[in-house]
Amino acid sequence: MPAKSTLKNAFPVILLTVVVTVCVSLLTYVDSLTRERISAQEDEAVKAMLDEMFPDMSRYDFQNEIYIIYSDGEQIGYAFLAVGKGYGGDINILVGLNDDTTLKGITIVSQEETPGLGTRITEPSFTDQFAGLDVNQVALSRDGGRIDAITGSTISSSAVVEAVRETALEKIKQIEEEK
Amino acid sequence: MAKFGKEFAKGIILANPVFVLALGLCPTLAISTSIDNALGMTLGVLIVLLGSNIIIALIRNFVPNITRIPIFIVIIATLVTVVNLIFHAYLPATYEALGIYLPLIVVNCIILGRAEAFASKNPVASSIADALGITVGFMLALLMISFIRQVLGTGGLSVFGHDLFSLPGLKDHPIAIFTLPYGAFLVIGLLMGLFRRTGVMKSE
Amino acid sequence: MSNLVAIFLGMVLINNFILVRFLGLCPFFGVSKQLGSAISMGVAVTFVMAIASLATWLIRNYILIPLDIEYMNIVIFILVIATLVQIIELFIKKTNLGLYFSFGIYLPLITTNCAVLGITLINATQNYSLSSSLVAALGGGLGFTLVLAMMSGIREKLELANTPKSMKGLPIAFIIAALLGLAFVGFSGII
Repeated sequence: MPAKSTLKNAFPVILLTVVVTVCVSLLTYVDSLTRERISAQEDEAVKAMLDEMFPDMSRYDFQNEIYIIYSDGEQIGYAFLAVGKGYGGDINILVGLNDDTTLKGITIVSQEETPGLGTRITEPSFTDQFAGLDVNQVALSRDGGRIDAITGSTISSSAVVEAVRETALEKIKQIEEEK
Repeated sequence: MAKFGKEFAKGIILANPVFVLALGLCPTLAISTSIDNALGMTLGVLIVLLGSNIIIALIRNFVPNITRIPIFIVIIATLVTVVNLIFHAYLPATYEALGIYLPLIVVNCIILGRAEAFASKNPVASSIADALGITVGFMLALLMISFIRQVLGTGGLSVFGHDLFSLPGLKDHPIAIFTLPYGAFLVIGLLMGLFRRTGVMKSE
Repeated sequence: MSNLVAIFLGMVLINNFILVRFLGLCPFFGVSKQLGSAISMGVAVTFVMAIASLATWLIRNYILIPLDIEYMNIVIFILVIATLVQIIELFIKKTNLGLYFSFGIYLPLITTNCAVLGITLINATQNYSLSSSLVAALGGGLGFTLVLAMMSGIREKLELANTPKSMKGLPIAFIIAALLGLAFVGFSGII
């Protein structure tokens, strides 16, 4: 009977469609369950880093890719992410600015540099150097700036310095324009 | 019941996925830098392998040959995505540590291999036993390799933030090369050779 | 431009797919006994990696992200790859039967090659542009082929050597991979 053989031929496709539909529904469901929690975690992580950089922070705003930091109603600074091209991949850096656009400090968010050498960019002995500097002073000492590179990892050090300076210049320009 | 036991035990030594079948090597070697990572990966593999073996065993008599592989792939990929999302939301540290190797469970030959070779031809109960056995075998292999790499590479053992022990000489001068890929290849090669030499597993 | 060069060299040498990222190991140990088949496999995998990177980049940027369904990427990527491999298999079967037979089962197995899904996931997590994705895929594939070729050359010679019985086959292959990996660490200074 023609109807029976058509059903038989169509069955593989029907089954595949059913399986795909069930799977997609399941995924959509699980995504809706987890989505909020995942973005909440990312917010937590950012807040923790900003708290550490600005101990007096009471709250922050995020507008146009820049975090604006407040302490009891008063604006005390800014923060933004910079990305450097390191040895082993991207180096993600959180850069903090004081209200007068001098540097508050930097925190290395993530990196994949060589253990023992490039990873030393996360040490305070390196990152503390950035605090209080004017943007134009953010360069390696060998290039006339105020940052001493880490011996044995000039590439990692230089990647951080370049990223911080270039992104800071950009963001400061953006802040000035918005004033 | 005896059959269940037999299928289960088979996955641990005779058909150990890592040392004998040499399946699923990609995540094994990448993840075996610490016990924490090993356990995290095992959990992911357990959920996916158990889930896929059960589902495929359930539908094995309905699936036409032509669409077999695409359907298996869709099911496994869905399970992996679910695990990925759940880990991201509820086990963020493990999620970060496993990185892209968690989604790569999809192409882990163990899962598709067992689906093809076993679950599509055997009843649900045996397939469950198979999944559990293979996962235990996987876990043991992973733990063995991670233990060696972590102890030699970092000088001590630290599980989920609890320091278990440190070897005095090694802690100050760990043989860091074991945490690098070189160490992974070395350890698994030597272990395999050792198992074959002592007759625990068969040589070629 | 220097960015693309950095990505390319990074993929081929510094973060080599087999020796550093552990991607593409199954064919590595299966096919790498003869130089000829190793190179053919390498070229085939590179080709699939490149096309898969293109297809998945388009799907991710024009469908997944706009519709906010990025979590579907694992399922969609692997289906795209499976389809791609099927098409290539049919194409080779029609145009070069000898090649088809010499690949044997390893051709459909490219679908489960961690390197292929791996490069699409790397492109996604690193948010690479289209050109970066393609360069990364070519670099990854080249690195894979390079190591596969080296490995097969060594193993061909090894057949004549006096390996202890328990180390024959896979164990010694792993040790060789360890040594190759060690040698490659020397590349990590070049960019």
